Amino acid sequence: MPPVLGDGPALMSGWLMIGLLVLFFGGTFAMSVVIGKKKENADGYMTAGNKVGFGISAASMTATWIWASSMYASATSGYNYGISGPVHYGLWGALMILFIYPFGRRIRKVAPRAHTLAEVMYVRHGRSSQLMLAGSNVLGSLISLTSNLIAGGALVSLLSPFTFQQGTLVMAAGVLLYTLWSGFRASVMTDFAQVLAMLGAVVVIIPVVFFAAGGPDMFSQGAANLTPQQGDFFSSDAFMNQGAPYIAAVLAYAIGNQTIAQRLFAVREDLIKPTFITATIGYGATVIGIGMLGVMALYLGMDPLNGDTNNLIPQMAGTYLGPVLLGLFVVMIVGALASTADSDLSALSSIVMADIYGQSKGKGKADPRKMLLIGRITMVLATGSALFFATGQFDILDLLVFVGALWGCLVFPVIASFYWKKVTNAAFTVGTLAALAAFLPVRFELVPMGGATGYLVDVVSIVGIGVVIGLMAFGFFGGRVAKIAGTAAAVVAAPFAFGTLHEYTVLSGSLVAYAVSTLVCFLMSVRSSREFDFDTIAERTGNFDTPEAIQAAAVSTK
Amino acid sequence: METFFLTLYVLIWPVLVAGVLFGIARSFLREWATARREGRRLI
Repeated sequence: MPPVLGDGPALMSGWLMIGLLVLFFGGTFAMSVVIGKKKENADGYMTAGNKVGFGISAASMTATWIWASSMYASATSGYNYGISGPVHYGLWGALMILFIYPFGRRIRKVAPRAHTLAEVMYVRHGRSSQLMLAGSNVLGSLISLTSNLIAGGALVSLLSPFTFQQGTLVMAAGVLLYTLWSGFRASVMTDFAQVLAMLGAVVVIIPVVFFAAGGPDMFSQGAANLTPQQGDFFSSDAFMNQGAPYIAAVLAYAIGNQTIAQRLFAVREDLIKPTFITATIGYGATVIGIGMLGVMALYLGMDPLNGDTNNLIPQMAGTYLGPVLLGLFVVMIVGALASTADSDLSALSSIVMADIYGQSKGKGKADPRKMLLIGRITMVLATGSALFFATGQFDILDLLVFVGALWGCLVFPVIASFYWKKVTNAAFTVGTLAALAAFLPVRFELVPMGGATGYLVDVVSIVGIGVVIGLMAFGFFGGRVAKIAGTAAAVVAAPFAFGTLHEYTVLSGSLVAYAVSTLVCFLMSVRSSREFDFDTIAERTGNFDTPEAIQAAAVSTK
Repeated sequence: METFFLTLYVLIWPVLVAGVLFGIARSFLREWATARREGRRLI
């Protein structure tokens, strides 16, 4: 019987864990030193000059989107919902990348040299819209950063003699070490090495665990461990509880996540499509593949350590991998968390640099040197905050639900603002706030959902289904197809959804957010006389670090 | 038959990952070689 986690001494010696972490963070730090410049450029620190090639961009998109928590969550989905569970987690997560790329092309066309989406919203609408988007971006990145540090701390404490706190501290220091000086440039460059390690590990670890755990025989011997729903590839349980809320979240997470927007502004414009398609396949295959460890655990009848399904992946690795491959497994998880954490740090610093400092000063007046300093200070403060949240007793998952809903409220107003001249600042702001006000009581069941209220939620949610499908179709096929697809989706879903949808609060909460923001934003804009000139965005967003800006800053200092 | 398809279902993902990894690595090496030839930074 191989050693099992929690069954005695640590599976990995303290020195071996230290060696692996020194190797990983030492290697990434060396890469950042190689690309580092004595005088970094503020725009390079945020978007690497808007002309990054396909190899680095695709690696960076893939590495950033795969976070440690997504690996754990996919395995949990496989364990809870059976053979279709990982698909209902990973496929929709992958489609978040795919469905944003047509909008991404439009965003780059309208704002070719912007740094953040919120920066564009400032030019398009004004301060309130910018701050709502930037605020949700900051919260999202901070939560993601915290979650990754927690994953790192948990991994270290599970496999080695070190404590959770020691683990989170080392992860935070390691990521900050290589990201601080060169910012986004260091983040994308190290993403390439991290994606090599992560994807390489997945290629090896999944088949090794599969055959070590019994190979094909586990399916015949362990079939009795599955319920009929878990053994059904078309499980309605898996779809309603895992898949459907994720479909609703597809556009929300893509719009709300500054790490995606940052890569969108960094990649060479003609490479947006291949980059996003490659990242879609890379993310999907990796996360679904790792989710298979949860499916295997289910067939094997394994109980998660301490009842926590987040322990499933380390348990499977600890049980079926030898010392060398266990080391590779550690590198895979650390690669996943570090690549996302460095992206979060870069995203946070960009938002503070461009949206808070840059926009408050105005284009041509912001001091690029001061901007860089602000970006670096932001990274240090963000790391400290994430460490504080990680070691505290905050339930970050509840916060994540809240931020996800806020992103859902923003999807239509943000997308419409890039295509429709009539959208006003008031429509954007009121639409978003009204949607949030409607989401909260539905998601957290603050009002009884029986009787008329439940039916009302169902009707609004059905409209939300039409909005989600319509927006997805709009990106690829335009307005006409979007209207047909959205209407058809709502009509087809109505007989099944009416009377039941309000019982699935995660799903109906998101759908209500989409529906209300769309209806309010549309109704407030459709009669407006505003005819926004989209060329204004390209004129008013652009590089901060220009010779003129440096000269102006030098003069003002004197 | 079911066992065969389940085995395929588990093992297809690492194969897809290997394909993506190959594509990304090849593109990166080409871009690196081009940047080196032209005497500019890769990023």
